[in-house]
Amino acid sequence: MKAADFLYHEAVNLQDAIKIKSQDDEAVILAGGQSLLPALNMRLSSPTCLIDISKISGLNEIKIDGQTLFIGALATHSDVMNNKIVKDNMPCMIDIFKMVAHPAIRNKGTHGGSIAYGDPAAELPALAVATNAEIIVSGQNGERSINAKEFYLGLFETAINQDEIVVGIKYPLLKQGQKIVFDEVCRRHGDYAMAGLIANVVGSKNDIKVLKLVFFATGDKPDIADKTARLCLENGYDYDKLKNSLSTEIDFAGDLNSSSEMKLHLATVLIKKVLSKLEN
Amino acid sequence: MAANNSVNISFTVNGERFNNVNVPTRQHLADYLRSQGFTGTHLGCEQGACGACTIEMDGKAVRSCLVLASQVNGTNLKTVEGFDDEMMEKVKQNFLKHNAFQCGFCSPGMLMTTKEILLNKKKLTRDEIRSEISGNYCRCTGYQSIVDAIEECINEIN
Repeated sequence: MKAADFLYHEAVNLQDAIKIKSQDDEAVILAGGQSLLPALNMRLSSPTCLIDISKISGLNEIKIDGQTLFIGALATHSDVMNNKIVKDNMPCMIDIFKMVAHPAIRNKGTHGGSIAYGDPAAELPALAVATNAEIIVSGQNGERSINAKEFYLGLFETAINQDEIVVGIKYPLLKQGQKIVFDEVCRRHGDYAMAGLIANVVGSKNDIKVLKLVFFATGDKPDIADKTARLCLENGYDYDKLKNSLSTEIDFAGDLNSSSEMKLHLATVLIKKVLSKLEN
Repeated sequence: MAANNSVNISFTVNGERFNNVNVPTRQHLADYLRSQGFTGTHLGCEQGACGACTIEMDGKAVRSCLVLASQVNGTNLKTVEGFDDEMMEKVKQNFLKHNAFQCGFCSPGMLMTTKEILLNKKKLTRDEIRSEISGNYCRCTGYQSIVDAIEECINEIN
């Protein structure tokens, strides 16, 4: 199918984009467009106006900023995967991106776009929540920082105000002994997952001290499972107990590929798969 | 610049300059290219899944169905018609040799992805080649032949 008609505005700078966005509450930001364009082509979305921010310079920086790894909103997934600072400080991100679509899509898809779009089946929102990242947005009143946990409100719903645009994400640097481990189950490589898990762990395989579990492709936003994580720490991996706990903690939403019951099973198994990746 | 339903843009396709052409904002790049005679760019799914419309934009492979024509202002594009350099001639010969063009529908995207693999200059295993071309569907299911061809290209170049 083809996209419905819309107006197009190529923003010359951030202030220009913010101004247009604040004036039209149905305008949508276009960055890499790798999620937006399919939605437009399939007419799942028909905004009045696209504000193209892809040519704004200075928004694709990747750097260490204090105790955080800062990734500019317009850095593409390929930029991030091939970046030495990322490789040295958050190598898990490279493993995660290998599961995000395909090379030609990663060449265009942007970090900020994936964060702002808030697809519940996408990896990056869950990573941001699991790592306690801060999302930096810029609007008419300047910049503000939103914790990832507070950023995702519901299905494709975020805490971004109408006049605001995501400009970057700050991931806290990992401490000694801390590790991000990840796995997902999908029908075909590069597809959205049927269920996925990102775990933020302190400790080793046989001596886990801190465990945070964040699931994706399970509900309407990244799902934090603190109660299940505690249970897992106290009793070790017990399929029935953890499954029971997850069923009370997450409102599993089935989709075309997998029922809510199946997602519950996959999520439970993923805990075991992810923890088995830890080193002794 | 006010928002508009059509925009004037300038860009290059296979070295040919397009100056100040008017494109409707809702038209994606693959449709625009095909309307200008670059019909080697094939359209399968128009949602980024099949990879048939993959082209090169400023040296990188991208899905032309997931880029708006209005976004290519100032860029340098290459479609399968522009694959006439020595490396791509070799690639085409290897695809022919291994019978990797069956119906030909996926071939423009496969060639584009192969080019990116070769430019990255990595020695890949067959499994890794499969992973690299996982974003390109071949509905003849001629993957075996395509992997054979790409493997030979990699061996020749490295």
